[in-house]
Amino acid sequence: MATEAGAAAPLPRRRRLRLDLSTPALLGLPLGWLAVFFLVPIAIVAAYSFNVYSIDPGPHSFTLKAWHDFLHSPIYLKLFWKSVKMSLAVSAVVVVLAYPLAYFLALSGTKRKYVLLLLLIAPFLTSYLLRVLAWKVILGDQGVINSFLFWTGLRSPDHPVSQLLYSRFAVMLVLGYIWLPFVALPIFVSLESLDRRLLEAASDLGASRLQAFRRVTLPLSLPGIFAAFLFVFIPTLGEFVTPSLVGGASGYMYGNQIVDLFGTGFPDWETGSVLAIFLLGVVAVLTVAFARFLQPGQVATE
Amino acid sequence: MKTTGEGEREYRRSELLKLAAVAGGAVILGGPAALAKAAQEGATSESGRLQVLDWVGYGNDGGQSMFAQYVKTHPHNKPQFTHMTNESDALAKLRAGLKPDLFRPYVGWVKYFAESGLVQPWNPKLISNFKHLNPFMVKAGQQHGKQYGIPDDWGFDAILYRSDKVHPKARSWGLLFDERYKGRIAWFDDLEMLVIAGLYLKMAKPWHQTDEQLKRSQDLLIKKKHLVRLIWASESDLWQAFGSKELWIAYAWPNDWVQMKNKHLKVVYMRPKEKPIAWVGMFMLLKGTPRPHLAHAYVDAWSSAKSGKWLENNYGYGHANTVARPSSSALLKALQLTNPKAVTEPAAHLDRDIPRRAVYARMWEEVKAS
Amino acid sequence: MSDVALSPSGRWILRAFFALVVLFLYAPIVILLIFSFNSSPVPTFPLSGFTFHWYREFISNGELRGALETSAIIAALSSVGAVVLGILASLALTRRRFRGKSAVSALLLSPLVIPYIVFGISLLLLFHTIGVPRSLFTVVIGHIVISLPYTILVLVPRLDQIDASLEEAAFDLGASRLRTFRSITLPLILPAVLSAFLIAFTTSFDEYAVASFVVGPRVTFPIYLYSALRFPSQLPQVIAVAVVVLVLSLTVVIAAEVGRRIAERRLGTQ
Repeated sequence: MATEAGAAAPLPRRRRLRLDLSTPALLGLPLGWLAVFFLVPIAIVAAYSFNVYSIDPGPHSFTLKAWHDFLHSPIYLKLFWKSVKMSLAVSAVVVVLAYPLAYFLALSGTKRKYVLLLLLIAPFLTSYLLRVLAWKVILGDQGVINSFLFWTGLRSPDHPVSQLLYSRFAVMLVLGYIWLPFVALPIFVSLESLDRRLLEAASDLGASRLQAFRRVTLPLSLPGIFAAFLFVFIPTLGEFVTPSLVGGASGYMYGNQIVDLFGTGFPDWETGSVLAIFLLGVVAVLTVAFARFLQPGQVATE
Repeated sequence: MKTTGEGEREYRRSELLKLAAVAGGAVILGGPAALAKAAQEGATSESGRLQVLDWVGYGNDGGQSMFAQYVKTHPHNKPQFTHMTNESDALAKLRAGLKPDLFRPYVGWVKYFAESGLVQPWNPKLISNFKHLNPFMVKAGQQHGKQYGIPDDWGFDAILYRSDKVHPKARSWGLLFDERYKGRIAWFDDLEMLVIAGLYLKMAKPWHQTDEQLKRSQDLLIKKKHLVRLIWASESDLWQAFGSKELWIAYAWPNDWVQMKNKHLKVVYMRPKEKPIAWVGMFMLLKGTPRPHLAHAYVDAWSSAKSGKWLENNYGYGHANTVARPSSSALLKALQLTNPKAVTEPAAHLDRDIPRRAVYARMWEEVKAS
Repeated sequence: MSDVALSPSGRWILRAFFALVVLFLYAPIVILLIFSFNSSPVPTFPLSGFTFHWYREFISNGELRGALETSAIIAALSSVGAVVLGILASLALTRRRFRGKSAVSALLLSPLVIPYIVFGISLLLLFHTIGVPRSLFTVVIGHIVISLPYTILVLVPRLDQIDASLEEAAFDLGASRLRTFRSITLPLILPAVLSAFLIAFTTSFDEYAVASFVVGPRVTFPIYLYSALRFPSQLPQVIAVAVVVLVLSLTVVIAAEVGRRIAERRLGTQ
């Protein structure tokens, strides 16, 4: 908008008078958009959590009550901790699995590395819900795995491999499945930018491949590992869709609690806001702590 | 945005006044016959599709027969549905700005919504089938002498179990807490579970527990939660899990029993000795709706004996229309359809208002989070 | 040449591992494909027969088609919006010096790390506060916020690659900044613009969490899917749709990537 206005203005052809594409004109729209539709909404949730603002009629004023209740409730914090543990486990496993994949693509010298990379990442770009659906079809007591076992006679229909679906295991398996391809990307980027001459130098100095890996490759790819870890950990920590579809009673996560407080539970938006802001705070702290690994170059394709 | 909203509201108000004037004039001039005609005229002056907020399975996803008559007479105002997961969800949606013409909470919420300022009473005179509706249920839909809820389907909260796998020690709600069936039990995702715990613990007023009682109910649920595989929120979740044999025991409604029988599972629908909780669906009319006459016509279609029979045959629920009878005598017996007081004492506990609903809700959320 | 990073046996093991993971990633998709042609409504072995029935059923399902259409509209609008904002922001980040650049870029990228559930609730409260009813556009607004950082991540490296002296030359020759952008910069970054558009489009088309809070009466495809997942009777139909959507999106993604490479090679990256 700003650019069009600038272009239409009948200005003399003098460089210093050009207003089009000036820095404020470039940044105005994107920053304005984020201010109105990103920062303000979050501020409203924060205000809600302190009861400064409420949709309930009647008087409301600043109070720490909801925060106090939350921080003194063993239940919510325990649930948060449970979700943290689940997300940590998923992120760790996924990073460990993705590292050799990225290593293979980046350092094996294969000619078709971009084709293979695309092959790896493509599932991530397809529907999230449909991939969850696939697992729902696969895991049930009458699902693909069990019916296959019955059919081949490896298992009697009276004794299916149970507890696959509607369990904490199911949630973690599906989350791992979903994030694995994506995680390989930042690790690949950091390994790709690694200077191979360093490895050659290490080799010339008599280091074995393992030593070179431990002393050179691994430390230099740590930024990629951290970035990858964070990119799985954050979204899985706030996850509510997968647990609600395959988690059952035991796979219930912190994100489900937030959704319930805003929806299907008797609406308690104040407590819900506290939970949301707390999650945001934790994520913000983590992000700042790892900020230097999150520069654009680290995650950009190629 | 605000100003157009207010303009709309005013427009609606003037429309309503006009309709009221038409209806009022008609009554004076010509009595009931003209009234029905006025309702028709009123309805035709209302435009747009009727907005219905209802549970899954009652709209175009399987419940079409319930309002077929309405669609026939109002082809230009076909209902458009938004799904509610439960009443809390509906409340959240209404608060968040959803503007349906009518919605369908259950009997325990009539008082809450009637006093919430979100709804307005119905005019039973515009519902030709109203006279056939079960008087106990009609009464349960009243608040401060006004008809806020029009009863429709009804049934029970009770226990569904597979008789080939499960051998209850007693006809009791305790089956939901039976240690022998760990990983095979399903609860319902609603604070009603605290009421059931209260019933099981033999409290005098499970709907109005003291803090100490609530704590006991909550402790029971938290202690037994490790037995539970699924806390179901929508019936189809339950059907999927029960039908694929993950579950053996569930808190369930009569329709779930019908559905599982259709899957050739050996299932029993057990009325616990602490008595089942009976529920009655209640259509409620939103305040400020621009389509009040269409809403009345829609509810009238739902209330007919024909719709009632279809509901009983296909969903296994009772219907408030006392003339409606299912084809199956087994269902007739199971639901005690011939007993006009099937939903109240001594046969069952009619679900009722929970004065401290927010406290219950919080404690139930804590059970799930534990 | 002896490889410093991998021994021959190590390479072999990694290759096998890679193949195994790819198998793991695609197997569920293939299983969906198989069952979409299975005549039994329940997805269990043994297979009961071949049918196109489920595909026909979903083609005649108006609600489902409506949801696909809604999602396509939302994805188109939001991806255009995100790409426009993304180009503006990326130009500022790569071609301008200004104070607080790192703070600005942190803000621009911050939607990447917000849990969508928190963002969804925040938007819901915002629209509620200012009295905007939920609709297709409320979803578009949210999706632009979500997609914006992705477009920046794609555009910034490409802008960095382009020799800025080309732009300077045009500028020195008297072209306006807008003209310089139109006739020099834009053609050079066009492949990146297209892939930014594609990423924004797929992000929006697939987004459930934020949409579930701010969607109006016209539901999006993921929201339709989520409720349909709960109906056993709709499962085979949904599986058929799943296959179509998965295959289509895989094709588009791969075609776009291949196209981008060819275009970039032709335009010459340095």
